[in-house]
Amino acid sequence: MRTKRLTLDALLTAVALTIYVVELQLPHVVPIPGVKLGLANIVTVVAMVLLGPADAAGILFSRIVLGSLFSGNMMAVLYSVSGGLACFVTMLPLKKLLTPRQIWVMSVLGAAAHNLGQMAAAVLVTGTPALIVYLPVLMVSGIAAGLFTGAAAQFAALRLKKVLDKYHG
Amino acid sequence: MVKTRTWVIIIVLLLAVSLGLTLWLWSRPRGDVVNIYQDGELVRTIDLSLVTKEESFDLESDYGRNTILLEPGRIRVSDADCPDKVCVDSGWLTGAAPIVCLPHRLVIEFAGGRGNIDAVTG
Repeated sequence: MRTKRLTLDALLTAVALTIYVVELQLPHVVPIPGVKLGLANIVTVVAMVLLGPADAAGILFSRIVLGSLFSGNMMAVLYSVSGGLACFVTMLPLKKLLTPRQIWVMSVLGAAAHNLGQMAAAVLVTGTPALIVYLPVLMVSGIAAGLFTGAAAQFAALRLKKVLDKYHG
Repeated sequence: MVKTRTWVIIIVLLLAVSLGLTLWLWSRPRGDVVNIYQDGELVRTIDLSLVTKEESFDLESDYGRNTILLEPGRIRVSDADCPDKVCVDSGWLTGAAPIVCLPHRLVIEFAGGRGNIDAVTG
């Protein structure tokens, strides 16, 4: 059972990493650091709902560290980890609060928290409080992207649950 | 369980506040004097109204290089050796938001922007 679970986690990490690297190739539509779709978060939400917090945390942080290595942008680790941590801490209590039809809420609030955490790290690292002007824009973009990835995650989670139940019982 | 409608209201409120703040912050007037910060320290101040011809210079730091391009009345990052090049894609500096290169910890903004923000954040 443990091996099965570990394999599933590794598989989901690979999926998240692939999505992450592909998304990096998309051009910046809005030239603001931090504005992105965050498609890889679909996997985090799915893992959180289907497998639980421990698996989700493992997948999320493996993806962040490996993703930064793959993209050659190690400076980004700091921002991504801060964002990922804020996102995770927000999604954790939501897991118990949400019904299966409300999974998308987890993604929206998680994305907003991600941007908040990222901004906090950026302000601290650069020592530039003026960066806060970006926060409202990042919140708007985070909520919009979260709605999209949330819908995708809810769809994927509900479908995958049937498959997992069928094979694992 | 919290009703879906409650979640929608929370999210819409969050969105409305962010959108309002965005519009308000981004409609601030711009000046002529530009400050360039690296690692939170002011490294250069440029009065764009005194720029008469196109010129560029490199900003080197431990983190990497950014090439700054000046033209009469405007400034941008024309090249950088960071991987994402968000600063280059930002184009010419507007009054709306500073140009930021997070990997190189570089910020370019109009002077007064900082003062306004301090007023906002108290």
